[in-house]
Amino acid sequence: MDKNLRSVLYSLVGILALMLFLILFLGNVLGISRFQTDQATLGLRLGFMFVGLLAVYAVYSFTKDSPAWEVGTRQVVWMAIGAALYAVFSWFFNATVFVVPSLSQVALRPAIAIPMFFGYAFGPVVGFFTGIVGNTFGDAISGFGLYPQWSVGNGLIGFIAGIPALFADRKRSLDTVLWVGGALTVLATVVYFLNRDQTNLMFFDPANNVFGDQPIALTAGISVLIGFVLVLIVRFAFGKNVDIAAAVTWGMLGNLIGIGYAAISDIWINGYSFAAAVVGEFLPAAGPNLIFAAILVPLLVVAYSAVQRQSGR
Amino acid sequence: MLIPWRYRKRENSFIQSFDPRAWLIFYICFLFSALAFWDMRFLLPFFAGALFVLFTSGVKWHEIRRAFLFIVGFVFFFAVLTFLTGRGGVEHYTEEHLIHRFQASFSILGWVPALDITVERIVYALSQFLRVGSMAIMTILIPYSLNPALYGITFKGLGLNDKFAYAMDLTMRFIPTFARDFQLTVDAQRARGYELEKFSGGLIEQVRKMGPIFVPVVIHAIIGSEDIIDAMDLRAFGIGPRTWIDVLERKRRDRILIRFGVALLVISLALGILGYGGFWVPEAFLQLAGG
Repeated sequence: MDKNLRSVLYSLVGILALMLFLILFLGNVLGISRFQTDQATLGLRLGFMFVGLLAVYAVYSFTKDSPAWEVGTRQVVWMAIGAALYAVFSWFFNATVFVVPSLSQVALRPAIAIPMFFGYAFGPVVGFFTGIVGNTFGDAISGFGLYPQWSVGNGLIGFIAGIPALFADRKRSLDTVLWVGGALTVLATVVYFLNRDQTNLMFFDPANNVFGDQPIALTAGISVLIGFVLVLIVRFAFGKNVDIAAAVTWGMLGNLIGIGYAAISDIWINGYSFAAAVVGEFLPAAGPNLIFAAILVPLLVVAYSAVQRQSGR
Repeated sequence: MLIPWRYRKRENSFIQSFDPRAWLIFYICFLFSALAFWDMRFLLPFFAGALFVLFTSGVKWHEIRRAFLFIVGFVFFFAVLTFLTGRGGVEHYTEEHLIHRFQASFSILGWVPALDITVERIVYALSQFLRVGSMAIMTILIPYSLNPALYGITFKGLGLNDKFAYAMDLTMRFIPTFARDFQLTVDAQRARGYELEKFSGGLIEQVRKMGPIFVPVVIHAIIGSEDIIDAMDLRAFGIGPRTWIDVLERKRRDRILIRFGVALLVISLALGILGYGGFWVPEAFLQLAGG
């Protein structure tokens, strides 16, 4: 392990340890309320941000010899393009989410296809940068403020979508990824059916008298399941086109883990219950994202393949 | 063609009198400090500070009008929405003091529309407006005040390595360009009969219809990137340590601003940890509801 890698790793572990000390010892052992998990906000947001970064760093440190981690001129430009596109699409759809008819009490975020596609097409570094920087800029120019753990969650989506670049054979592990994604989907759907009265924390539609304090509709509750079925269809319908199958499958896993990470972190940050985090936040965000992944990502992959064939690059 | 932000050198601009690195550090400290509070008494100084920066920025109203109205409208909309629904505030208060209840004289399938005006909802909406408003004002001024030529060296000066500093530089430069491309694509598709606001068909059909917007914008951006990549490669980008044409110099006032920003953040975090700055309802407001 070289010196730089070790020093960064030590720094991250040190920060993480400090966060855990603050929360566990000061909060739960000494009982200082501001450090308890249902009270703290800002420190925990940063803490979860570091947890996400640490996860990325761990993957990097185990596979740092892979060419997928190289950052050259092309990656620098693609990172910038991905992040800027994600910010612009986020801004547009954040701003018009109230006029675009939604699935059912669910905020549409089609821009999520951008980090998935950029991650898959250009590698994990480009995907991570696209998600984290694009989401940060998108939130900033929309006037939402900064939510570090959600930005890292978006970064994880692009990062995980880019993991196939670490494999020589992109088809490898697709079935394992599907099984993991399927298990997470079933778990989330079961949690929904056990907590159907849980309100949707992410959607407001005053024109139709729908507010966030209403239980989510059945279609929203099973939207992750619908999305996963679509991903399965794409995976097997385009089984011969490895690029489409892999992009959609890894994008699906990235979405489940990235949004899941951000939503679960709100258990500690906002004091939500597990059911509120899963049913009120995870399902309304991750479900439609999967549907976008299954439909928009293949369109982008096919169009990009055509460009590659044409340009020879 | 790259579309620039509406930056220009402005006379007597408070923001532009500082080194951009110093201002960005202060800006980040300001954002996270404001996030530490929900108490209007703590948020008012932040809002006043943001207004001071706005009025001394040298940015003319006609330059910023469109973006400013959009963001303020957006913030106002969210504050009103929170007020109407009462959502969001429930994390901060458990009891609501009713001032008045507006109830419709009709019913829809047995449901009578009603709106509760409570002290806590009003105060929460005001607090949210101050909190998000101050952050939004500080954010919107950056592209009007920060010289695009200095983006790269600024991020480099903030500790990023050359490649990531340049990626951040390009990201900020690309945003207005892609926003223009996006709008052009939407307009072009509308001219062909595409109706963005009128999605019809099933769920999958609705999502698929976004393709004519997504694919051209993304693919056009990727194709266009080849010229930029070639230009950078021809200049041997990333081969050795990068040099920057512009050199930033940190003066005494910049160091003072950085120290002030860091102190503000530390104090805000400390106050938050000690339990100050949480949601607060003025006594006078409670009396409106009869105590």
